[in-house]
Amino acid sequence: MDNIYQPDLMEVVETQQQTSDVKLVKLRFRDPDRAKQFSFRVGQFGIFSAFGYGESTFNICSSSNWKDHIEFCFRRVGRVTEGLWRLEPGDTMGFRGPYGNGYPMEEWRGKDLIFLGGGIAMPPIRCAVWKALENRQEFGNISVVYGARTTGDLVFKDELDEWARRERTRIVQCVDPGGETPDWKGEVGFVPSVFERAKIAAGANSIVLVIGPPIMIKVTMKLLTAMGVPAGNVYTSLENRMKCGVGKCGRCNAGPAYVCKDGPVFSIEQLNAIPLDY
Amino acid sequence: MSEIIAQDALRACVSEWLAAGKCVAGPRQVSWNRVLYSYLKKPEELLLDSEARPVNSIKEFFFPKHEKLYGYKIEGNDVRLAETAEALPEQVILGGRPCDAAALPILDHVFNWDYKDSQYNARRAAATIVTIACATHDDACFCTSVGLAPTAESGSDALLVPFGDGSYEVRCLTEKGKALFAGKTEQSDKTAPAHAGPEKKIDAAKVEAFARDHFEDPFWKEHALACLGCGVCAYNCPTCHCFDIVDEGNAAGGERARNWDSCQFSLFTQHASGHNPRASQFNRQRQRVYHKFRIYPEKFGETLCTGCGACTRNCPAGLGILGIATEISHG
Repeated sequence: MDNIYQPDLMEVVETQQQTSDVKLVKLRFRDPDRAKQFSFRVGQFGIFSAFGYGESTFNICSSSNWKDHIEFCFRRVGRVTEGLWRLEPGDTMGFRGPYGNGYPMEEWRGKDLIFLGGGIAMPPIRCAVWKALENRQEFGNISVVYGARTTGDLVFKDELDEWARRERTRIVQCVDPGGETPDWKGEVGFVPSVFERAKIAAGANSIVLVIGPPIMIKVTMKLLTAMGVPAGNVYTSLENRMKCGVGKCGRCNAGPAYVCKDGPVFSIEQLNAIPLDY
Repeated sequence: MSEIIAQDALRACVSEWLAAGKCVAGPRQVSWNRVLYSYLKKPEELLLDSEARPVNSIKEFFFPKHEKLYGYKIEGNDVRLAETAEALPEQVILGGRPCDAAALPILDHVFNWDYKDSQYNARRAAATIVTIACATHDDACFCTSVGLAPTAESGSDALLVPFGDGSYEVRCLTEKGKALFAGKTEQSDKTAPAHAGPEKKIDAAKVEAFARDHFEDPFWKEHALACLGCGVCAYNCPTCHCFDIVDEGNAAGGERARNWDSCQFSLFTQHASGHNPRASQFNRQRQRVYHKFRIYPEKFGETLCTGCGACTRNCPAGLGILGIATEISHG
């Protein structure tokens, strides 16, 4: 019997605590044949599980070029993430996927890429940034504006520094007002306004990936429209709550769109055509 | 020519099926004021009364309220998965109404588009559906508004049409239905009268257009604030199919199971961050109408509603699809 809800068993290879409540987990298929046959597109998601606690949905935040293992990153907020938080190298966990559509990065070739995200929105941006950097000649300038509430909430700090050293990249880090420390060298403000202040060139040849709450997307889209970036060039990844991941359990729809099947990646042009139900 | 069967002979069939190890479910008086579709232990328990209307639907025999998806054992670092290998017994679902049976082909689409749900399909394959055509209807019935009728055949393996004298015309619709009643019926030259059913009450196309074009209309708030969010509409609905997946276990092992869920509950869509796309009850009532008349039809070309009226009949706040859809159709 082919059970679509049954996960692959994964070995936890490594865990990295990113902040006081955010962890990155690296995992590998226990079955080597499954590992060989597995592939995914950046932007796709998986259903990750801690046995005895439950399943939860996260973006696969590693680059699809990395064949040795996959990664996901989460904030500890409830029962399932408490179970995931307790996992240690060598432990077994569950994974189902990959699900959803992923970023259309082939269509992004030859364009400048701008990534805007806040807090825990970094993982679904990070996989695309690595993928772009690994195929550097295919893309124009790469800019990232990343913000968190406080300096202690920034994730992937080492990687942000590493990206900044690459050619034709610009990384702007910011924290919300009041979230800075005396030695903070980055910007202070919210992501859309920091993006505006940073004067990152954007126009018809730019692709923007903006991940955050609906209000952040709305404010950012206003700025981008003024700069001449069409809504079809601006993408986001929706985070509607899911259970099955395969279009059955009936909870992730945003209007007529099933986020698990039609998304999670949508252009703002697509989102403009559906009701605000996300 | 037609095939007929008397109630006594039908009860004798139930005895025979039970004796052969089949599970037989049908309308049963479970308490003084309540009739439910449930498994029968004896043929006398089968309630053959066209006025008696079970509160639930027959979907639970294919999509149970609680179902183990797989088990697991945790041993140190290791986890072993155990599939649910229990063989499903053959089932006869007897005495459902045509609006119950018509929900099954609708659910088949959900459980089989792209990814196929093997447990649901196994239960479907192991069951024979024997439906009894309606001889009466009540104020909440509106099957004729969504393309069905008291003698609709969709989803049934055999349809029994009552003569009103305690016997039925047996219309075998599939091989399964024929096999079940082979040698059990008598030939007759009578055919059973068809009950006309309720007059047409709602216009599904109008409801679809309204759901599509009036998502932000104050109508939803005006008509849904009375909703208590109890979910009874979804639980008794033959087509509602939303579910949750949960772990029931401890450090040694356990199972991952699915339980019925409902879009009427606030936690249904709440993100871990606290953000909730459907933060108030009217958003959630709108979702139920929107799913039935807009989302599902767009994907599968049918309405996710069979006009059974269960949500309207059972709602403690006097809501339900019929009232809302009637307002939209005539508003």
